[in-house]
Amino acid sequence: MPLYELSLTLRTLSRPELIASLKRSAETILQQGGVLRQFVSLGTNPLPFKMKAHNVWHREGTYFVMKFDAPSSAIENLNDEFKRDIDLIRSHVVRCEEPVKHECTLEEEMKPPAYRKDVQQLIEEGRKVIRHKFKQNTPGFDFYPFQK
Amino acid sequence: MSIIRKIFSDLHVSNFYRITGSKLLPVRVGYSTASSTSSQPGDDLPAENLGNPYQREKRCCVLCKYGVEVDYKNARLLSQFLSPFTGKVYERNITGLCKAKQRSVEREIIKSQNAGYLAVMLKKVEYIRDPKLCDPNRPIRPHRY
Repeated sequence: MPLYELSLTLRTLSRPELIASLKRSAETILQQGGVLRQFVSLGTNPLPFKMKAHNVWHREGTYFVMKFDAPSSAIENLNDEFKRDIDLIRSHVVRCEEPVKHECTLEEEMKPPAYRKDVQQLIEEGRKVIRHKFKQNTPGFDFYPFQK
Repeated sequence: MSIIRKIFSDLHVSNFYRITGSKLLPVRVGYSTASSTSSQPGDDLPAENLGNPYQREKRCCVLCKYGVEVDYKNARLLSQFLSPFTGKVYERNITGLCKAKQRSVEREIIKSQNAGYLAVMLKKVEYIRDPKLCDPNRPIRPHRY
């Protein structure tokens, strides 16, 4: 499972320019000490809303996804580099995690409040008697800190 | 008199006992003979591990049922949980998802909007005709407030 996933939105470019831009992005990852794992193209689509990047409004873009492993310190630098690239409209680095398998708790949540476990826990907590203990405002020294 | 004697001769106590091998075993009135050959003391007691036959099937949310993994790149799936008019995410009472899945959907929607996959203020025209996973007019539970 690759560690990070980068989703790039590139502006409409001719093919050789697009290749050059992608190569540049990939090289920045490698420069920062990353290892490219996978490269996926999601096609050229109209953007869901118009986006401004480097004083230009874009309505169409090319989506690419790159999966890579990199040290965590590199991500900040990567984001910095991508911000300065004119060809990129948006760049979004996400940490990949294994999907946690869990059982659906819908049945439990649909019960009336009195039968729900979390509500019952709240009731239990409410029943606890909290005896407030006086907290002395001392730093915890075992000597008197001021000059007598 | 003879007729009566003939009838009553059959009703001797010995007729209620069956000879099997060397032993005389008692025949229980009303039970079939086949089962009583191998009868143990607790054989006719009710079985214990049956469970509640009237228990309803456990309800499962749509995403858990089909094992769907929610991804920020899958804007189409995520937009099924948004309002087509305002683009706002529906609450758990409308979507009918379990807590964990609702939370992951909300997080992925934010990711998707930031990455530029999902529209923010509305629902894309091509996605409006998609099959409805949740109906705001028929929530599965009353509103929180």
